[in-house]
Amino acid sequence: MTAQAVERAGRSVARRGVVAWLLVRLTGLLLTVLVLGHFALTHILTDVADTGSAYVAGRWASAVVVGWDWLMLAAAVLHGAFGLRAVIGDYGRPSVRRALVPLLVVLSIAMVALGTWTIARVALS
Amino acid sequence: MTIPQLVFLAGFAIVLVTVVAFGLLVVVSASRNVGDSVVLTEVVRRLGRAPADRLEAGRWAFYAHRIGGVAIFAFLVLHLGDVALYAVSPALYDDVHALYGSPPLRVFESALLLAILFHAFNGLRLLAVDLVDVRPVTAYRLLQATAVVTVALWLAGSVVILAPIAR
Repeated sequence: MTAQAVERAGRSVARRGVVAWLLVRLTGLLLTVLVLGHFALTHILTDVADTGSAYVAGRWASAVVVGWDWLMLAAAVLHGAFGLRAVIGDYGRPSVRRALVPLLVVLSIAMVALGTWTIARVALS
Repeated sequence: MTIPQLVFLAGFAIVLVTVVAFGLLVVVSASRNVGDSVVLTEVVRRLGRAPADRLEAGRWAFYAHRIGGVAIFAFLVLHLGDVALYAVSPALYDDVHALYGSPPLRVFESALLLAILFHAFNGLRLLAVDLVDVRPVTAYRLLQATAVVTVALWLAGSVVILAPIAR
């Protein structure tokens, strides 16, 4: 690799780091509203014992709630995945870290897929 | 106790074990790497100092932010699972969801609220100190404000969450 190629590769890695942390901050800001709102609605304004299937059916009849919940799902998984990637980098042997990152990617995709399937199945039925 | 409820509780036990194990990992790594003491008398001595001498408080906020973040994520995995039951069958969802109103789960929900509130307000504090350069004493004041807002909202919310246990 030429010196310029090394520099270019370094810059692109640095840019990826910038994008990752910007995403963590942006989703974090979004989640302060989405998650605190969600928790307030389902645990403070409504008692948790009253949030059974009838409550869920009423909630997901609203397109705003469906949009809110899906955005919250996507933002939470993105935020958590990038956060956990940083956490994994700080602990354990390098071999363990290398094994955990792909697991995290698979888990994150599975979480978004499961949540999207749930919402889509209910909203489209 | 039905089978789906047992499966949920097994998942819940995994969440708790994950959080405790990760918390120990963070604290043990911290005491090994930077010499932060976890002994109570040392903590009390450290808390008795002037704000400008307590800059390591930000490091403790960092550890709490991590442990809380992992706890919230671990619960999210379980929570996506129990909500997905609704798409399978509302009756199955109700069966598992009944556990959420039980006293032990209410105590857990109160702890979850603490984790969410601290992670949210500490995150806003981090955004603030990233965007604006503040003096060390101001940074410490922001941390105190984070703690006050977190604890105040947590106590108020916990009264609502835990009240049905007494009834």
